[in-house]
Amino acid sequence: MESVIRVENLVKHFGPVCAVNGVSFEVKRGEIFGVLGPNGAGKTTTLEIIEGLQKPSSGSTYVLGIDTQREGGKVKERIGVQLQASAYFEQLTLREILRLFGGFYRKCVKPEDVLAKVGLIDKINATVGTLSGGQKQRFTIAAALVNDPELIFLDEPTTGLDPQARRSLWEFIRQIHQEERTVVLTTHYMDEAQSLCQRVAIMDSGKIVSLDTPVNLIHNLATPYQIKLACRARLPEEEMSCLEGVKKVVVDGDGHYIITSNDANKSLSTLLSWVHGKGASIEHIEVVPSTLEDVFLALTGKQLRD
Amino acid sequence: MLFSLIVANMKIIVRNRQALFWALLFPLIFVVVFGLFKLDEPGKTTIAIVDRAQDPVSKAFISNLGSIELLTLEQDKSEQEARDALKAGTISFVLLIPRGLAEQVQNTSSPVAITIIYDESRMQSNQIILGVIRQFVDQTNMALQQAKPLIELKPEGIQTRNVRYFDFLLPGFVGMGVMMYSLTGMASIVALYRQQKIFKRILTTPLKVRSFFAAQIIAYLLLSIVQAAIILAAGVFLFHGHVYGNIFGIFILVIFANTIFLNLGFIIGALAKKVEAANGFSNAVSIPMMFFSGTFFSTEGLPGIMPDIVKYLPLTPLISAMRGISVDAQHFWAYPSELAILAAWIVVTSVLALKVFKFE
Repeated sequence: MESVIRVENLVKHFGPVCAVNGVSFEVKRGEIFGVLGPNGAGKTTTLEIIEGLQKPSSGSTYVLGIDTQREGGKVKERIGVQLQASAYFEQLTLREILRLFGGFYRKCVKPEDVLAKVGLIDKINATVGTLSGGQKQRFTIAAALVNDPELIFLDEPTTGLDPQARRSLWEFIRQIHQEERTVVLTTHYMDEAQSLCQRVAIMDSGKIVSLDTPVNLIHNLATPYQIKLACRARLPEEEMSCLEGVKKVVVDGDGHYIITSNDANKSLSTLLSWVHGKGASIEHIEVVPSTLEDVFLALTGKQLRD
Repeated sequence: MLFSLIVANMKIIVRNRQALFWALLFPLIFVVVFGLFKLDEPGKTTIAIVDRAQDPVSKAFISNLGSIELLTLEQDKSEQEARDALKAGTISFVLLIPRGLAEQVQNTSSPVAITIIYDESRMQSNQIILGVIRQFVDQTNMALQQAKPLIELKPEGIQTRNVRYFDFLLPGFVGMGVMMYSLTGMASIVALYRQQKIFKRILTTPLKVRSFFAAQIIAYLLLSIVQAAIILAAGVFLFHGHVYGNIFGIFILVIFANTIFLNLGFIIGALAKKVEAANGFSNAVSIPMMFFSGTFFSTEGLPGIMPDIVKYLPLTPLISAMRGISVDAQHFWAYPSELAILAAWIVVTSVLALKVFKFE
């Protein structure tokens, strides 16, 4: 498939700090590509270099076949950008802002059409200040769509939103994607990357530590399952961790056993008969598939936090 | 494109209440306050007269004194009451006329003493009135001696127009208003747009950022003409102020000087990290200028070398040239040194603004 973005050996220093340290990847036409990582991983810097907002210390970026370091201006007509935590003119109505921004491009969509797409048509004569957090985020996405771009960049589009607003925003992003646009987004939410993105690059400390589909990332993990076991009787952990397929046993704050296994089928059956042999009764048992959270932990040894 | 950007910028400015306050309300408050006070008419001074003589000479003296417009006479107080009133500050002078004034004037060759008592702590305002009374006494002496004055001072005013202090102030308010609005407005908007990443967002579009600034500056310049017109109109129509010179000269100066204030605002806004800091900085620059650049009084009244320093501030030449046009009906070109200072400021601030902008 055609690649719409190609990044080669991108490096960006801020004084002694190396924010981006040799990043290379490609984004294919028509996919939702996620860059996942904690705050300070270098996601925004990478995106802003691709968009032509920052100059890299070294490396090259191609967007839609154009070298953005040399002729960045050419690509601006064809991309849409939503910046992290950016606002718009407080004194103008949504219609006025979209008309103004639309005027910057050769091709532009009517404010009504863009607002209808993100469900803000009834706010067309309101100012940004009167919108809720979720509506504001939707509006910044609408503003990025004003030139009907082939490629849209969303920098942490759901940060700071409540779960319901996040889910509704995911719907809008899927909808935008269905209009045959390529979407590149950054996030530090595992579930967001997992549910929205076709491919995910996991970034930490300025480097891409892994890049694949969410499913593959999880399956390539050495321990893709966890078994959660609640039992009234006290069980010997040492013995439990020697059972077949079991890698590790920890007791969480509620007294539940969290058993990490690389073979859920085998471990589960041996575990059940072992517990039965101890004469204990099981209150609750569940098999939890690993998430990107676990992938991140395994790759970087760090927890990903909000 | 540029046109719609200018219109959008004008909407943004006009809909911003804080900017409107600095642009219109702030200078209009001054226009109203100074318009309402009758600053040109000095207040009347009250004198209590204790007439112990009660004879024709003292009566004539008092009635002549009463004809001086500045003075109000009170004759119903005893000496003690008059002294108490002076201490309380309800009157400014007590005049004691001794017993048998007429007799003494006729019979004595040495002058007769009329005592005048006043509060020494209010020397400043009393000095004028004392002078007036002294002059009155001299005239009375000459009249009593039937002497012919040998020298007479003939006052001849060269001021042909009746220029009031308010007329003098009006161009100052225009200059101050333009400065406050452009400097504070531009500084806070640049800081705000940077803080809210609006500049960055514009950089992602095909629009050139310099077009964006050009539109913003044009919007400010156009609105500053409206602002100056409103301040002048309020002064002229509500408080009977006068603009004697060519009003277009004033508007040209407004645009000229506004370029400097917008540049300064831009520099402050670009250097300040936050909107609050930008507001603070712009006040720190504009408020001293408001007081020292001749808004309320001529800079010649400043002590020491101050007048020579403040004349190089951008607001001083603006106000002095505007005042020359407005009050003295001078031509725009009659102020080459003021125009030169303004031109120098335009060049310097433009270069600095461009430097700061590239640094961004």
